[in-house]
Amino acid sequence: MLFKIAWRNIWRNKTRSIVVIAAVAAGLFAGMFMMAFFGGVVKQEVETAVQTQLAHIQIHHPLFPEDKGLDYAIPNGMVLLQQLQTNPVYKGVSGRVITTGMISSAADAAGVEIQGIDPETEQSVSNVFSFIKEGAYFTADKKNEIVVGQKLADKLRLILHGKVVLTVLDRDGNLTAGSFRIAGIFRSNYSTFDASTVFIRREESAALLHTGDQIHEIALLLKNGDQSDQQARQLAKQYPGLLVQSWKVLSPEMAMLSSMFDQIMYIIIGIILLALMFGIINTMLMAVLERQREFGVMMAIGMNKARIFLMIVLETVLLTCAGIPLGILFTITAVEYSHRYGIDLSGFSKGLSQYGIGNLIYPELQTNMLLPIIAMTAITALLASLYPAKIALKYKPATAIHKM
Amino acid sequence: MSNVIETIHLTKVYNPETIPVYAVNDVSLQIAEGEFTALVGPSGSGKTTLLNLIGGLDNPTEGTIRISGVDITTISENKLIDFRLQHIGFVFQSYNLIPVLTAAENVELVMLLQQKTKKERELRTKELLEEVGLADKMHCRPSELSGGQQQRVAVARALASKPRFILADEPTANLDSKSAENLLEIMERLNKEEQVTFIFSTHDPRVIEKGKRVITLVDGKIVSDTQS
Repeated sequence: MLFKIAWRNIWRNKTRSIVVIAAVAAGLFAGMFMMAFFGGVVKQEVETAVQTQLAHIQIHHPLFPEDKGLDYAIPNGMVLLQQLQTNPVYKGVSGRVITTGMISSAADAAGVEIQGIDPETEQSVSNVFSFIKEGAYFTADKKNEIVVGQKLADKLRLILHGKVVLTVLDRDGNLTAGSFRIAGIFRSNYSTFDASTVFIRREESAALLHTGDQIHEIALLLKNGDQSDQQARQLAKQYPGLLVQSWKVLSPEMAMLSSMFDQIMYIIIGIILLALMFGIINTMLMAVLERQREFGVMMAIGMNKARIFLMIVLETVLLTCAGIPLGILFTITAVEYSHRYGIDLSGFSKGLSQYGIGNLIYPELQTNMLLPIIAMTAITALLASLYPAKIALKYKPATAIHKM
Repeated sequence: MSNVIETIHLTKVYNPETIPVYAVNDVSLQIAEGEFTALVGPSGSGKTTLLNLIGGLDNPTEGTIRISGVDITTISENKLIDFRLQHIGFVFQSYNLIPVLTAAENVELVMLLQQKTKKERELRTKELLEEVGLADKMHCRPSELSGGQQQRVAVARALASKPRFILADEPTANLDSKSAENLLEIMERLNKEEQVTFIFSTHDPRVIEKGKRVITLVDGKIVSDTQS
């Protein structure tokens, strides 16, 4: 009966109740859609970092990360590379020669990281090839080709098939230079990467740097990206003389962003629910004040305080929870639509590309967060009911009955 | 007949520390089982306050109230609510039915609070609404009933818990003469046939003349107590 009274009481003032239900639905929609939106942003940032730059795991000589010296090649790197390439856990394995140098055009010069790669195997760990806007990701029959980023091309005023000179210190410490022709220009989601990284073939880098068949980095892309830490630990055990790092170690800020995302979202939803709580308190307080006489009568005929308290709590929880399915429904519809077509933020592309975010954001709703959000809303309703219930319990039947 | 209600030197003072107003002033009375008592007097004479005190809805400043031998001035608020549920029925001037419940649900609510079984509740609700002539209005909400009909539902609700007595505060004040007459007939019949004790306040002469015992209050004091 208490449930019946509570439910019917909600609909005594339809407009007022609908406003509260709509506010709860709108609040939840705002919170959950924002969560889905930023979830999409974070996912894109991580994907850019992993698929364009880092891969899931990298293997180096233990001293290589400190100064990136050419002497710190992976011992027996090519043998190890071939071993890893046969392991079915990996989607792709690529060996890289890495150094820094100067790239010069007729117009300007810039410092860059030069990656000597095998274009075929590199495509299995990095999606840079998919970002080619002009030209190609190397051509089979041509030598001394270089692939550069759009931002670098703009800065040095490079054109497709134009020539550039790479100046580096070779393994013996001698300044050496090589001439390369622009095979392709890429534009990834990460403008800093585009401005600072160039790709040449591994054998040509070896010739330029006198490094033979040495490699400095092995990048591994896993079939199951969630196992990156576990797999890195396993490799580290297997190869104790090498430095094995997962992308979370290589880019701790990205890992932190990813792991903190849930907490940040819960805080934001908590703030939204806190604001909603005051609206709910206000509505319930009005309801309790309006029904003073009714509470007086209930007490007079024998309804004890515990039951009256429970009735108000039930009424508040039912009123609030009526907004939950609506909020979830709106969110799922909006997220489904925007996930399919993307949210176009090309107006902010310059700023976004500095963080590895593309022009189109694809929101993603994390369904595992729905239950905690429903629980948080129910707790909010419970808390919101306490003050109005306390007010109702203070009524004295003799005076309350005679209130108009 | 044994006394169901006994008040001893009952006093209720409002604003005791500023300008004291004696709403009830040293009232001692006994009401026996089966009585049909009218509490009369002009507005402000203390009728409602006395009924509230007897019903345990308000606390006296001084004095004792014994209901079936139990001193209700000494029991805790929660126990008093339960005591009211088991022993006292109320009929209010403004009907005061729960607007979101139907006539039947209003009557049933009291029995539900008493934790009666569903079968028992349904049977008694039907009986009571038939008794007050509203069997056909069981599923109507108060807003769908006339004032007289609402007050009859209120009487049925007051009877639902099988109380020792019913306190009715100006039960006919908001009713037209025909509805008032009809309600009084029901109350008289219940008193005569089922020995239900009624104490009702009124200042309507037509109602006063129905009272078998008439207690007159002026300025919170009993000035006359007559039996017919």
